[in-house]
Amino acid sequence: MKIKKILVANRGEIALRVLKTAKEMGIKVVTVFAEDDKNLPHALFADESYSLGFGTLQDTYLNKKKLIEIATKAKVDAIHPGYGFLSENAEFSSMVENSGIIFIGPTAESIILMGDKIGSKKALEKLTIPMIPGYHGDNQEVDHLIKEAKKIGFPVLIKASAGGGGKGMRIVHEEGELSEAISGAKSEALKAFSNDNVLIEKYVVNPRHIEVQLMSDTHGNHLHFFERECSIQRRYQKIVEETPAPNLTEDLRLKICETAVQISSGINYRGAGTVEFILSPEGKFYFLEMNTRLQVEHPVTEMVTGHDLVKYQILVAEGEKLPLRQSDIKQNGQAIECRIYAEDPDQNFMPTIGKIDRIGVPTLRDVRLDCGFLDGTEVGVNYDPMLAKLVVWGPTREIAISKSIHSLDEVLFLGVKTNRDYLKRILSHDKFIKGFTHTHFIPDHKEELLPRVLSDEDMANFVATLGFSEGRQTQKFSSGEAFLKTPWTELSGFRN
Amino acid sequence: MEKMFILNGQEVKVQDYKATPESVSFTYKGKNYYYMLVTRNDHEMILDHGGRFRAAVSSSNKDGEFMIMANGREATGALSSRKVKKSGDQGKGLISPMPGKIFKILKEAGTSVKKGEPIMILEAMKMEHSIKSDKDGVVKKIHYQVGELVQGGVTLLEVE
Repeated sequence: MKIKKILVANRGEIALRVLKTAKEMGIKVVTVFAEDDKNLPHALFADESYSLGFGTLQDTYLNKKKLIEIATKAKVDAIHPGYGFLSENAEFSSMVENSGIIFIGPTAESIILMGDKIGSKKALEKLTIPMIPGYHGDNQEVDHLIKEAKKIGFPVLIKASAGGGGKGMRIVHEEGELSEAISGAKSEALKAFSNDNVLIEKYVVNPRHIEVQLMSDTHGNHLHFFERECSIQRRYQKIVEETPAPNLTEDLRLKICETAVQISSGINYRGAGTVEFILSPEGKFYFLEMNTRLQVEHPVTEMVTGHDLVKYQILVAEGEKLPLRQSDIKQNGQAIECRIYAEDPDQNFMPTIGKIDRIGVPTLRDVRLDCGFLDGTEVGVNYDPMLAKLVVWGPTREIAISKSIHSLDEVLFLGVKTNRDYLKRILSHDKFIKGFTHTHFIPDHKEELLPRVLSDEDMANFVATLGFSEGRQTQKFSSGEAFLKTPWTELSGFRN
Repeated sequence: MEKMFILNGQEVKVQDYKATPESVSFTYKGKNYYYMLVTRNDHEMILDHGGRFRAAVSSSNKDGEFMIMANGREATGALSSRKVKKSGDQGKGLISPMPGKIFKILKEAGTSVKKGEPIMILEAMKMEHSIKSDKDGVVKKIHYQVGELVQGGVTLLEVE
């Protein structure tokens, strides 16, 4: 069935991202917005836009009933959930389909299967997908655990089965440390979770996070759009992503991608999905999880393969065949995404708020700023602090890095402190440039990622900049006459 | 004349300060600086200081602070005539753990509180965070009212 009208059940940059492709396909777009978002572009630039009212997330963007009411009233053919929010909510996808509306995403069964971390691993073991070697059994006798640990091979990670937050967690490098570590982990686990069961897993030193973009239609075509390297993370939050993954042999790249396709075809998946793997420095890779939605970092794949993933999501939802074969998908050049957050990396990553007077525009070719804000809009306290994604393509990785650094300088968010400078420090780091990325990159290089000290020259530049502005802001700033009044400055109030 | 600015919470003093719409000059740490304005709009400008660079100043927030960008570096700044929080102010009272909106004040100034007792509720990321007293004492001063937006790291109130 041809989709003529879509409701995007999301906000910010991803709502705009879906809107863009829909417009290119001649599809009408309906957006929704919480009242505190009413001045943001996703609430302004759609064909129709409906308020979700005030209140908590449960009352607004997560309000399934209200979203379906709006979709029904607006007579849309399909709902695109974006990422986050209701994108991996099987109940919502069923509710949507039961209302006679297409859910642009996988089946509820796939969402449920992959949302269950243990169930999904069991299902995938049958497909002979590599899993992190481990012992998750009920026999908790120390002698037995030692035997299992030796079977897995050192180093191993011992953690509380009821786990979380590093409590009851031990890394053990040799047999001699084992029994003490097990009893230590058990007593910590007992205190924290009233349950002293532990599990043992192979500990991967300096692991990399490699994921594969998948797209499947309902005619048995299961394609991959190659991998993404997403190891640069802070507290499990990705900050810099790229494709192709550096320092990966062609053999390994293909093996990883083909393993991912084995999963999508094995579970008869539908639509866009991503399989995440842990890759060890020795080239062993293990299944981590599958995300049954479009990912935040999908644009790097689009830049390097030249394909529009949202377009394929829509075609698949219409029941069409994917209009390409695996051999049509090629990696060309390098793309890097930097996530721009409203936070102060030099004050313990404290979130920042304020009015954005001006958003800098990137000027280089093949640079994309996916951003959910406009000049004059406010960054508040209610939502995720990601303001925008800067996605840069270059013919080589070296050029993509230097273009990213240049573009980060350009995309100033005047009025709200962001992590731009921190991102520049990461991209300029010798180890990053050489492609030595792993998930402990940020903590391991903490010292080298500290800000460059401000020089006297920097301070003088600030003084001069403030000096030229004094008296211009409004009359309330006492010293000095308001000078240089031009129609341009007089009009500035319109942006509020 | 001597002039003072606040940059990143620190007082910065310059001497021989002279400003016209077209130029700003001063002495800082014994060195003379001279800047010319090349062009500007309401927030952004190009300055010349033996080489051109981009600079920008945001509109001020409620505390009279601006965000400044000059030649790729960023700072928070204020004109010294304005009262601003200096970095030394922190640590005296209870600090907002993150930016948020004052949702509720549970203990007005003058009320006695016990250590761990919630005094104020801050709303952020659609969740409520209680600001608890760090000692037995009396709520001395509450710096904000219900409904106000506050930055992270500011002193919300003081207990004595």
